[in-house]
Amino acid sequence: MAFTFKGGLHPEENKITAKVPIEQMPEPSRVAIAMSQHIGVPSLPTVKKGDYVYKGQCIGKNDAGLSCPVHASVSGTVVGIEDRVNFMGQKTQYVIIENDYKGELDPSIAPFPKPLDEATLEEIVECVKNAGISGMGGATFPTHFKIAGARDRVDKLIVNCCECEPYITANHRLMLEKGDEIIGGAKIVMQALGLKACDIAVEDNKKDAIEHLKTRIADGDGIRVCTMKTKYPQGDERQLIYALDKIEIPTGKLPADVGRIVINAETSSAIYRAFTTGMPLIERIITVTGAVADPKNLRVPLGTSVSEIAEYCGGYTGEIEKIISGGPMMGQALWNEDTAVAKGTSSLIFMLKEEKKTLPEACIHCGKCVASCPMHLMPCYLALFTKNDDVESLKEFDVMSCVECGCCTYQCPGNVPIVQYIRAAKGKVKKSM
Amino acid sequence: MSLLKVSSSPHVRHEDTTRIIMSDVVIALIPSLIFGVYVFGLRALFLTLISVLTCVLSEAIYNKLMKKPSTVRDMSAVVSGILLAFNLPVTAPAWLPVIGGIFAMIIVKALFGGIGKNIMNPVLAARVFLFASWPSHMTRYSAPLESVNSFMIGAPDAVSSATTLTDLKNGIIPSVDLFDLILGKTAGCIGEVSSLLLLAGGLYLLVRRIITWHIPVSFIATVAVLTLAFAPDGVSNITFMLYELFSGGLILGAVFMATDYVTSPVTRGGRIIFGIGCGLMTVFIRFFGGYPEGVSFAILIMNLFVWYLDRAFKPTKFGGGRKNAKA
Repeated sequence: MAFTFKGGLHPEENKITAKVPIEQMPEPSRVAIAMSQHIGVPSLPTVKKGDYVYKGQCIGKNDAGLSCPVHASVSGTVVGIEDRVNFMGQKTQYVIIENDYKGELDPSIAPFPKPLDEATLEEIVECVKNAGISGMGGATFPTHFKIAGARDRVDKLIVNCCECEPYITANHRLMLEKGDEIIGGAKIVMQALGLKACDIAVEDNKKDAIEHLKTRIADGDGIRVCTMKTKYPQGDERQLIYALDKIEIPTGKLPADVGRIVINAETSSAIYRAFTTGMPLIERIITVTGAVADPKNLRVPLGTSVSEIAEYCGGYTGEIEKIISGGPMMGQALWNEDTAVAKGTSSLIFMLKEEKKTLPEACIHCGKCVASCPMHLMPCYLALFTKNDDVESLKEFDVMSCVECGCCTYQCPGNVPIVQYIRAAKGKVKKSM
Repeated sequence: MSLLKVSSSPHVRHEDTTRIIMSDVVIALIPSLIFGVYVFGLRALFLTLISVLTCVLSEAIYNKLMKKPSTVRDMSAVVSGILLAFNLPVTAPAWLPVIGGIFAMIIVKALFGGIGKNIMNPVLAARVFLFASWPSHMTRYSAPLESVNSFMIGAPDAVSSATTLTDLKNGIIPSVDLFDLILGKTAGCIGEVSSLLLLAGGLYLLVRRIITWHIPVSFIATVAVLTLAFAPDGVSNITFMLYELFSGGLILGAVFMATDYVTSPVTRGGRIIFGIGCGLMTVFIRFFGGYPEGVSFAILIMNLFVWYLDRAFKPTKFGGGRKNAKA
């Protein structure tokens, strides 16, 4: 029996790139590296216009507070530092580097100097921090903070390979092609925190990956590969921990509060690369799919623009209406195609313009949203209370617990933009407090 | 390249819309309609068409006059029209579904805000309204397989026939064969007679995940348990219970009326209590009330409790309850 949770749904998968091997995208002539590719305080540029930078050189950091360093993904000359709109629609500082195609690596890049079993927590955290690794599943929480904060509080590591969003296949391919990197990264985190147990969670629509990973682990590792039911949002860490261990993370708490640390598959692989080669996080796997001629799983240098990636995949197959960074359920619609990909870009989905006759918005009280809410809320009523400006009822019905996974809205036959109402409601509730 | 559309997630939607759901309900009702035409003649179809046309036009005209977006495409008016006709005897005059349809669509549905906003099932409210206003038209049942004038505007002549409910009310087992009763060869309203085909329609809705089992099962089970326990002296309990289940509008009510989304609860617990309430009320009215049938009243009364049931069965939010072993 596969592990599962109550609620959720199974959207049409559309994983058309599941069989397409990961391909390395050539470096572009210019990259734009955002100073803020993570949750927390933006980094500050440590280079200036005209500087020469090596590939993998740290070009921005911020030692104050929750932050994560950023690195050059190509070697060349800094041609500008400017403000641009990032994929969230916010203004962020970007360092623009003109590629000299020499690919000269930063001389300080070197593998971890000691064997793994002699490495301490502090050393591993420092290594992860210097590599600029932040959560690559989309939430982009700086990983070194996560590991350091889990000290003496957790007893199990969970590697999240669920990939429950439709379309995306980057983790699936990574498991098949670089399964050892994922397992290696897990072992590094286990060593850092002194853990004896690790679950690698994979949905049962990726049976080949499950079988492959099982052949790569040994009995004494303390690692087990867990088959999860294919259901969205299985990859949400709350649902994941509940499915595996039947523990609910209390409202407002984090996995560490219930003794768990969850890292994404590609994050784990990035930790392994940083440890074994010293390479910082300067590229990532992106599933490029939807309305492009040649959908691919691409390993892309960070800072490459969306339009260049689309061109590399054969260009658009029609008039594009929307470009989504991340999955279709929770991803961000991009403002323009010049946006540069960042550490959290797991996928780029190009959507064609389509004419659809829609019904006027009307909740028919069918209860589908209630049944599919993984947080066990009553979304239809939350939408109603938002329309009625009824802040008291919104609080009573726990609007702040909504994780905005979009299950309710995906299902709604009455065409009600429930999540959008809830997002507005959260603002109202915050204001009233 | 033209400007990109920027909207917040989710960016994909399930294809099931209200229109598709309502169309599924229509599909589920068609076998019973065909059977109604078979036992009661073409007039059954004639009345159904009038009813559907009235409901659709009422909604369309109201939307137009009130300058509201048209909701006719959602198919809900078609469902209401069919169900209203199903609740009429075939001997009803042709103007009865017209008045009923206008009452259902305008007074009960539109004036409360249209689809999703009405607090009572429009069809049942209209049925009760017609029942109170023209009791003789609403209770004159022709015998099955007897021909009536198909396209007459007024009430056609027919030898009136008692329904099995009247016998049951008097504490006797009806003379109709139980198998014929379940199949639907009995006197009654156009769409309520064939329990078998109504259950088949319900099964289709279950398979298509349009309805859940909670309301029909708890409703019918409650009636079954009570009629089994309180069968009158001198008759077999099981036989009495089976006749109670397949007489009148119980199956039509439990499968198609009580499960109306708008006027039923959204949680499983709420739905079970709702069904039990409908069952209790139905049996009380059948046993102790002034009418032989209580399904419509039972559902209408329970409709009024929907908000309270939803609130009472509000699920415990994830991370807010008991299961926090380690917290």
